[in-house]
Amino acid sequence: MDILQALRSRVDQAEVVRLRGESTRVGFEANRLKSSQIEETSGTALRVVKAGRLGFAASSDESTLDKLIENVLESAAYGDELPVAFPGMQPGADVSTYDPAIVELPVSRLVELGQEMVELLLEVEPEARVEIELERGVERLFLQNQAGADIQIRRSPLSVSLGVIRVQGDDVLAVFDRVGTTLWDQDLLDVARRVGKRLALAKSSATIRSGSMPILFAPAGALVLALPLVLGLNGKNVHMRTSPLAGKIGSRLFDAKLTIVDDPTLDGRFSSAPYDDEGVVRRRNALVERGVLRGFYYDLKTAAQAGTESTGNGARGLFEPPSPSPSNLVFEAGETPLADMIASIQEGLLVQHPLGLGQGNVLSGAFSNSWSLAYKIEKGEIVGRVKDVSIAGNVYDRLRSVAAVSRETEWVYTNFRLPYLLLPEMNVVAKQG
Amino acid sequence: MQERIQSAVKGSRADYTEIRLEEREATTVAFRGRDLEAASAVIDTGGMVRCLVRGGGWGVVTFNDMADLPSRVEQAYECARVAHSEEPIELAPIPIATDRMAVTLEHDFRGVSMADKKALAEAYNALLLGYSDKIIDTSTSYTDSFRRVTFASSEGTFIEEERPQVELRIVAIARDGDNVQRASESRAGQRGFDFVQNHDALALRVAERAVDLLSAETVSGSRYPVVINPVLAGVFIHEAFGHLSESDFVYENPKAQEMMVLGRRFGPDNLTVFDDGSIPGLRGTHKYDDEGTLTGRTNLIQDGMLVGRLHSRETAFKMGETTTGNARATGYRYAPIVRMTNTAIEAGDVSFEDMIAGIDLGVYACDAYGGQTALENFSFSSAYAYMIRDGQIAEMVKDVILAGNLFETLMSIDAIGRDFEWAHLAGRCGKGQGGLSVTFGAPHIRIQDVVVGGK
Repeated sequence: MDILQALRSRVDQAEVVRLRGESTRVGFEANRLKSSQIEETSGTALRVVKAGRLGFAASSDESTLDKLIENVLESAAYGDELPVAFPGMQPGADVSTYDPAIVELPVSRLVELGQEMVELLLEVEPEARVEIELERGVERLFLQNQAGADIQIRRSPLSVSLGVIRVQGDDVLAVFDRVGTTLWDQDLLDVARRVGKRLALAKSSATIRSGSMPILFAPAGALVLALPLVLGLNGKNVHMRTSPLAGKIGSRLFDAKLTIVDDPTLDGRFSSAPYDDEGVVRRRNALVERGVLRGFYYDLKTAAQAGTESTGNGARGLFEPPSPSPSNLVFEAGETPLADMIASIQEGLLVQHPLGLGQGNVLSGAFSNSWSLAYKIEKGEIVGRVKDVSIAGNVYDRLRSVAAVSRETEWVYTNFRLPYLLLPEMNVVAKQG
Repeated sequence: MQERIQSAVKGSRADYTEIRLEEREATTVAFRGRDLEAASAVIDTGGMVRCLVRGGGWGVVTFNDMADLPSRVEQAYECARVAHSEEPIELAPIPIATDRMAVTLEHDFRGVSMADKKALAEAYNALLLGYSDKIIDTSTSYTDSFRRVTFASSEGTFIEEERPQVELRIVAIARDGDNVQRASESRAGQRGFDFVQNHDALALRVAERAVDLLSAETVSGSRYPVVINPVLAGVFIHEAFGHLSESDFVYENPKAQEMMVLGRRFGPDNLTVFDDGSIPGLRGTHKYDDEGTLTGRTNLIQDGMLVGRLHSRETAFKMGETTTGNARATGYRYAPIVRMTNTAIEAGDVSFEDMIAGIDLGVYACDAYGGQTALENFSFSSAYAYMIRDGQIAEMVKDVILAGNLFETLMSIDAIGRDFEWAHLAGRCGKGQGGLSVTFGAPHIRIQDVVVGGK
């Protein structure tokens, strides 16, 4: 059934999105291959504008398309009155997100990769229990609308989730990491190597006293600083004026060493794409440049509410209407080598894995985290793992003055690229009182 | 349908095969500020086949297109052969069940019009917006979902179950200059439309709290005696201890088994913690888990001692313990893993007044933003809190996030209240496969010497 044709005469605007996905994953548990899984996904989501009102419905059951149409029309009868205009056909951003080498990667190769990762980690830490999930797949999004857009976005995601648990007596060390790509990446083992480094550094332990000291945020740890900004830069929160950044474009709000870019045009990165999930052309957006706020990110609807243009940041799952979401969020590298940053610290903390990420009043910029993995730095050297430490603050205060930003960056949790960030002084609450 | 599923299961070449099919219809009405954000319906159907080959491993196939079940079974069998186990995977035996569970809702939300659902959410939303001009943003959402789940295994179990769910979430955001504060409440249950009606007082409480938080100071980071209310105590026991009692953490890890050996002391004499998936009316409740095992009560800590843990059929067999009915799947996209259901701290005998009476300087922390565990260490955050000064509840404080350690924090519980309650919140646990409905129950408890992060 041609749904677009069926809707065209009954509504002012219509959008039909079909998602098709296939993935294969292998799972290692307690250092051994334990399971393998195939996932097939298919479904259709509709949006219409009728009498100026926006409606949404979705279904994963291809035999109920009549019901789907009925649902979207009912939704539009109640929907928001909004000047949304679905975009026409335009050339997409020039970016690679599909690699036959991933799509055709044999399951046996996934298994080998997992085994190599386990071996690599057991060499560093023989008592480790390693859990790995390797997943490769192909995803297609077909989008058509009444304005003439007829788009196919094809991606070949490959991801590795890796968790290590080491129990020694009553001491538990848990480390988790995740990476993803859409182009075959020969350095896939890197994620195991970097987890191995963290395990090696955690072999010796150290103690630290409560007090004020410099804090070095590793890229994964710096997520506690990045997450409030993800909310603050969201066009929706700006429009509702709940973002502390609302109305401050052009102001110098952060340290001049900070530049933050949303960049969906990087080849092979997990959230790269030629179009967003509403058919708007993806583009690189500078959000913060040398500490000055430059912009926010929007989808079509939020942009219409705010009286501005979509920045190509509409993202959706099958069962939810699009909402603004960053693609690849990049904190640009700085000028200081990591080694120099560590060497500059007399006594401080290197924080690696936070607990309670995203808890608390994140919108206000507040963060308060204890750390499942943190290290003491003493006289310019990492001396060992410290447990039971907490730090708290507000990113809108703390990021006004950053002591150093590293040259080195890492991709963490698939779509954040972060450097090491050194904050000059923070209050640490430690067990030793 | 029954015949189709059972014949597909029978045709399997695997040592064990199960099929779980789901049909779900859901509606959502959501207001954001003054705008109606969504009034929409979704239809979600899909299934999962899981096969076990004893010398191999688990093979899983998930899909939306349910047309050809026999070939899905064959695909899952091929997946199961990819792995190779030196020690064959075995499943603990369970009684074979044949059961049909139809639900009768007092006020079935499937018969309620979209207009009435919209009116309900709109009225709560208007209460928030009308409370104060400091409330600049709201999110009021109503969701209902009706799932039909069909389960069949090659051992002969066949279960059909209806799983209704209704949810109300209310969020208010207040702003004063650069100060932005958020408050929220939710109600959720396997219940009808009436369950989310008549909650005006709840909505007003959310608005009031968001505005009150504007004048609250951030707590000073330190170590305090902390009294936590039943909701937060429930989140605490889920994070601090519950996840450690899930056997998938210990069953293939001898060191972890040594650490979590039954009979070890984890808390004071009067501490009892249990998980029970069979209590009528709670969100974590089902008669059977997603492997077809009957649910029931499992004591985890009794009189301060570790006495039990939560199992799937695989972990129970491996550890030589009995099944508990805790293999749960978030939906047809997932194979079941070991999860909690309704987890609780049993009531004690201390009154709230006596609990705070002896505290010179402490924190009274209420409700939860969330919690997370790294097994030995964990963190949980309160939605709002007060200082306790000279045995009295004093000023409100914000950003109270508590950190703890498994072996110290439970031992530091020195008072357990007599005011037990189950939380009827829209709470979800994110282990592995994301949002699974769980419930917590607890009385007020007092814990000595808790690390509270802060300025």
